[in-house]
Amino acid sequence: MVKIVVLILSLFIHLHASVYQDNCVQCHQKLPVKIDKFFYRYLLKYSSAIETKYAMKLYLLNPTKETSILNKALLNRFGVKQKTTLSEQQLDEAIDEYWDIYKVFGKLK
Amino acid sequence: MLKSWDINLRQSEKKTLVSFFILYAFFTIVLLLFFAIYYYNTQKDLMLQSKRLGLSTLASEQIERLKEVHVNFDKTKRYPRDTRFKSAIYDSTYHKIFSLLDHDADVDLNQDIYMRGNKIFFIKEPEYYYLGAKYVVIEVKDSGIWKQTVYKNLVIYGGVFLFMMLAMGYFLMHLILKPMKEAISLLDRFIKDTTHELNTPVGTILSNIELSENTHLDEKLKKRLARIKIAARTISNLHQDLIFLTLENKIISKNESIDMKALILERLEYVSLFLKSKKIQTKTRLQEQVFLEADRNKIVKLIDNLISNAIKYNKINGSLEVILSAHHLSIKNSGRGIAKEKLSQIFNRYERADKSVGGFGIGLSIVSKIAEEYHLKITIDSKVNEYTEVQLSW
Repeated sequence: MVKIVVLILSLFIHLHASVYQDNCVQCHQKLPVKIDKFFYRYLLKYSSAIETKYAMKLYLLNPTKETSILNKALLNRFGVKQKTTLSEQQLDEAIDEYWDIYKVFGKLK
Repeated sequence: MLKSWDINLRQSEKKTLVSFFILYAFFTIVLLLFFAIYYYNTQKDLMLQSKRLGLSTLASEQIERLKEVHVNFDKTKRYPRDTRFKSAIYDSTYHKIFSLLDHDADVDLNQDIYMRGNKIFFIKEPEYYYLGAKYVVIEVKDSGIWKQTVYKNLVIYGGVFLFMMLAMGYFLMHLILKPMKEAISLLDRFIKDTTHELNTPVGTILSNIELSENTHLDEKLKKRLARIKIAARTISNLHQDLIFLTLENKIISKNESIDMKALILERLEYVSLFLKSKKIQTKTRLQEQVFLEADRNKIVKLIDNLISNAIKYNKINGSLEVILSAHHLSIKNSGRGIAKEKLSQIFNRYERADKSVGGFGIGLSIVSKIAEEYHLKITIDSKVNEYTEVQLSW
């Protein structure tokens, strides 16, 4: 019985797991720079949802020093991240969630 | 000057002049409006340029505040306000991020500074897009001082310009009319001189005919003399008409109570030879004790013209009917009649409904002027080839 409950629970968790939470937050939690700081750096450079999301996707698919929004000091310390293993669809899903969490629209008073 | 035109220019010419002046004034006003709009826009642009630096400073201050919010977004999410202006921020795809403006949907982000209503809008693009803002819009209220200056200048300089243009138009109109006025003046002088020169011979002819009537003459000669008398009286009438026309503004009316029946009978007697020569049957129904307060000479002229027209445009063996009642006089002939479309023009000077008969077309013009002076209402009823009836009522 306990086995069945654990199985159902793990299945439920798996079904509701988010690509962003599983693949982005988990890694960034280990870094000294929080994930929201990266968002505001992107926003500072790309302004709109379309351009920000496009720039993020482009970097995650093919990370280079030139396309990174980190400054030189941070790049030297942490280096360029590894290429994503996520599919484009998963990547879009993760970026959309990331945008929805940190976007400025509707949050200013 | 206008009084002189009134004498010399006919109605259609006056209408042309008025049309010309209205058209000229219209185009002058259009031109003035074009310059006014151009001047207004130039002054508005100048005012906006003068405001640009100040608004740019305000926008920079706002951008600094946005920077603060951006850096500490997790702590403070309050959009920075300033009592000196209203503001809004938009992203690179023109989506509104936040706005304090009254009408944020109308903002034109493609301009850097512009005016709408009584508000000035300034748009600045920050170097970095704090809070994602590519466009920072600053809105301030226009004091309107520049507008007062512009309106004052427009009224003063526009008024002077309009006055000058209208004066020039007036001068131009005179220049265009000069040849026509000279021709009319020449014609007037010719008529006046002719009138003056006709006075003596016409008088001589008539007095000599009257003297010859008293002498013993045979019937053949008497008939000839009668025909000469009719012709001489016709010339005399024409002469009188011309005198009236040339001196119309100088004749002072001496009003008296005129016995209309006696006057009509006297004038019919005067034209009796003329009536006889055309074998016209005269019928009269004249009421007694009908009086009209007017200048006798002018009423004589009026009746003479109406009767002589009724004879002139009558046919041989035709009829003439004169009816007088308390406030009404009717003179009806069995003549060739006047077409309906010509009826409205026959009171114009030099206008003749029927050009087959001699004359200058001044008779009815004189009738209309006298009638106008004494408020007599004239109506003409006519049927081609049947009759013409002129009715006077007072």
